[in-house]
Formats: sequence, C-alpha cells, structure tokens
Amino acid sequence: MRRRQARTAFAFLAPALLFFALLFFYPLARELYTSLFTGAAADRYTGLGNYTKAFGDPVARHAFWVTVQYGLGVVVGAIVLGLVLAVILNQRMRGRAVFRGILLVPYLTSIAIVGLLWRNILDPDTGVLNRVLHALGAPEQNWLAEHPLATIVCIAVWQQVGYTTVLFLAGLQGIPELYYEAAAVDGASVWHRFRHVTLPLLAPTTLFVSVIGVISAMQEFALPYLVTQGGPNNASDLYVYQVWKTAFNFRDFGYASALSYLLLIVILVLSLIQLKVGQRGEK
Amino acid sequence: MARSRKRADSLFPGARGVGYAVVIVICTLTVIPLAYMISLSLQSDGEILAGDPVLWPAHLHFDNYQRLFGEVPYARFFVNSVVMAGVITIAHLVFDPIAGYAFAKFRFPLRRTLFVVVLSTLMIPFFVRMIPVYVLFSQLGWLNSYQGLIVPFLCDAYGIFLMRQFLSTLPDELIDAGRADGAGELRIFWRIVLPQAKPALAVLALFTFVFQWNNFLWPLLATSTTDMRTMPVGLTLFNQEFFTQWNLTAAGSVVLFVPTAVLFFFTQRYLVRGVALTGLK
Repeated sequence: MRRRQARTAFAFLAPALLFFALLFFYPLARELYTSLFTGAAADRYTGLGNYTKAFGDPVARHAFWVTVQYGLGVVVGAIVLGLVLAVILNQRMRGRAVFRGILLVPYLTSIAIVGLLWRNILDPDTGVLNRVLHALGAPEQNWLAEHPLATIVCIAVWQQVGYTTVLFLAGLQGIPELYYEAAAVDGASVWHRFRHVTLPLLAPTTLFVSVIGVISAMQEFALPYLVTQGGPNNASDLYVYQVWKTAFNFRDFGYASALSYLLLIVILVLSLIQLKVGQRGEK
Repeated sequence: MARSRKRADSLFPGARGVGYAVVIVICTLTVIPLAYMISLSLQSDGEILAGDPVLWPAHLHFDNYQRLFGEVPYARFFVNSVVMAGVITIAHLVFDPIAGYAFAKFRFPLRRTLFVVVLSTLMIPFFVRMIPVYVLFSQLGWLNSYQGLIVPFLCDAYGIFLMRQFLSTLPDELIDAGRADGAGELRIFWRIVLPQAKPALAVLALFTFVFQWNNFLWPLLATSTTDMRTMPVGLTLFNQEFFTQWNLTAAGSVVLFVPTAVLFFFTQRYLVRGVALTGLK
C-alpha cells in the first residue's frame, strides 16, 4: 500500500520534476559553466577571469549602482504611495472597490504597452505632455533626456502602485481592532495611532513588499530597452539590460553569464534575509 | 470587514474629504495615459505626423484597427499570443495541480526535500535561465517556434504551492472513497480531486494567462521572424520593422490590452484575493 502510494506520487511529480531539472537546474549549472569561458563561442577557458573582469569593469559597476538606485526608488515610491492609498481605502468610503480596481489596471497591462505609451507621451517634440504643459503656460519638460533614471522609476511606480496598495490593504485588514480601541482609550492622536499601531503591525507586510519589490526591480529589462535604451550616457543602463546587450549584441556569452551569476548572488542574499527576518517576525 | 471599516471611520476630522481627493487624483493619473492610448489609436495619420499632438482626434478613425489587421500581420501576432498564453495556461492546469496533489495527499520518501527543491526554483529568476535556455534551444532548433515560446513556462512553483495549499484542505475520505470503489489514481485525480479545486484552478489560470499574455522578454529573444512574433513583441517592433505610426501602435496596444481588461473586470475579486495571497510576479 505504502509502496503503491509512493509510486503514484512519484509518477504525479515526474512531469514537474523533469521540467525543473531540465529548464531550471540544468540552465543554472550551464550558466555557471559558461561563465568560466570567453570568446565569441564561449569556448576559451578563462577560470574566474570573467568575474575578476566584472569587478573591474566600470560599465558593469555603473549598471549595478544604477540598478540599486532604480530598485530603491521604485520600492520607496510604491511603498509610500501604496501605504497612503491603502490607509485611505481602508476607511468606509463609497467606490472603494472601483478605486482599487482602477489602481490595479496598469499592473495587469503589458510592460510593452507601458513602455511605448510613456515614451510617446514624454517625447519632448512629439509627445502630448509638452503640448498640455504649453497650453497651461507651464515650462516644457525633457525628462527622458535630463532625468532618465528618475523617469523610468516614476513609470514603474505608476505601474506597480496598485499592487502594493492591495498588499497593504490585506495587511491592514489583518490588524485586530482591539489595538486601535486600546490606543483610542489612551487618547492617542491619529498620528500616534498610525505611528505606533499601524506601522509596527504592518512591518511584516512592508518587509515583504520591499524585498519582493527590490528583487523584481533589480531584474527590470523592458523599461530601459523600450524607453531609454539605457541612455543618455548610460544613465538608465539597468543591469539585466546590460547583461542582454553583453550576450545578444556583443555576443560575449561567457561574460554575460558571469554578470548574471553575480546578480543572482545578490538576489539570493536578499531572499535569504527576507526568509530569516520573516521567520523571526512570525514568532 | 465591517469591523475594520468601523474602526477606520475616525481617521481624523476631514479625513474623508482629503482621502477622496488623494485617491481621485491618483486614479485620474492612472487612467489618463490609458485613455490617451485609446485616443491615439483613433487618430488620423495627419494628426499623428503633424508634430503637433492632439488630445482627442477630430474624427474617430476606427479604420486604424482594420489597417492593423490588413497592412500589418497583427492577426498573426494575435494568434501567436493566444497559442502561447493558451497552451501554457492549459499546461499549468495539468502539471501544477497534479504535483500539488502529490505533495498534499501522498506520503513518500524525500517528500519534504522534493518540496524544498520545487520551492527553491522561486529563487531562480528568469534572467539567469535566459542565456542557457536560449543556447539550448538554438541547439535543438527550437528558436522561433511555438515549442520554443512555450516550453520554458510549462509549470511553476507558485502554481504547485497554491494547489498544494488548496488541496491539503480536501477531506481524505473523498479520495479513500474513490479508492474503495476501485478507481485508478489518475481517475481519482481527474474525476474527484480536480473538480473540487475549481476556485484555485480559476485563480491559477487567470494569473498564468495574464502573465504570459503580457510576457515580453522571452518572446522578444526567442522569435526572429514576423510570423512568430507575439503581440507585445510585434508591437514594439512597429517602429523598427513596419511603421513609425503611433496610431497603429496604439491600436495594437488596445487590442493587446482589452482582453486582460475584460478578464479583470469579470474576475476582479479573485484577482485581488490572488494578488494578496501569493503576489503575482
């Protein structure tokens, strides 16, 4: 009986396990192997050469720091806005579900649309935004040229704020009312209640949103690819976009693999921090 | 629900008004670019090319949509998107629950270890798989083919985890009754377990479909000819391969956008719950 159960279970797991072996773990190993080689066909062994090259490569280092700034910008923006919106929408108000639905729409919209649309709107010469600013008598913008990184951060926040709002709303609903009643009895002010009841009790949600947010932002490819081409002057040259160019434009698969592995290590460390802190928070 | 609303009634005096103002402003900023996309899709070539953008077209050029399917192979992109997202969704609906069911209801050696192995794939981001899978598929001759678009996404740990959580709540008696009737294990899964899992399957299907419908990076990399492009990729190549006409690009965006918007409209409650539950990536 037990053996039959085990056999059935393995048969049921087989497709998934085979899939993960061939399309997750094999690529993971192959990427590591390729990272030890150099040349257009990635066939000359270079040991850790690609890794030492990466640490000394101003382009890679620059891309990494740009990506860190991008990740922090997106996460801070989405958290602050999402928290504000969640606190507001957690009140009794007409049209909550409608507002929440509207906020989520960009999150479900393809990044291809988001990128192209904003590039069109923000274009200094042919974009509609400058036309509107002009009509309002405001100075015209040239954000994509002057503040490319901040601009794609804002586009990403525009797309993601509904997601963080929904996560914070779920977190807020989990706070027992008792705490607020106790705070009210103590005569705590609104700000006090927010600062000492809402924020601490939302800490697990905030941690989850920040780490998940940073991890996914650090993998952003489409916005630089579609909106800024990493420019001007590499100011918005995000890391994965750089990996892409290294592999598929410059045909240096070995170096691109090493660059990928380095980012993977950073992401794994972030994931582990979240697991550790998250577990402590649960106790 | 009612309790949380009562509590939040007294945020501070006048909070309601300020709150409404903030939410309405942000929702307006959310909607305007998408509304402008619809406006762009209805503008004439003249309006697009004059270098003097307008907020709303003088005449609504619905024929842009005809041109999209006539002058540009957008119908082909549409079909490719349907095939890619559709087949991947069906694959998830088979492979995720069957693996989740094994983890939820069977006792076997290495169960915990294998579950950790499956979950660990959540930490392997796509950019790490991108280069080796590309090289592998180019050796197999799978680039620029449907199997090349589909195979990297046949199942995932999110779906398996979701199904395991859901199916652990299923009473064992149900499965045992099936066994007592002499039904085979596959038949039990298909006839007894899956029908019980409909709510979870709906969430899974919805998330998988929307994610793959919008998928950009892999189809961009894995396809190289016009007849294999999916909509998100074909759209971005308008400017390079076909036109520099933003009205057609916008029309294509609307065609890509509408199915997800309609799905979202009808399934908002599930989606919101799903987002809060697992975190859609």
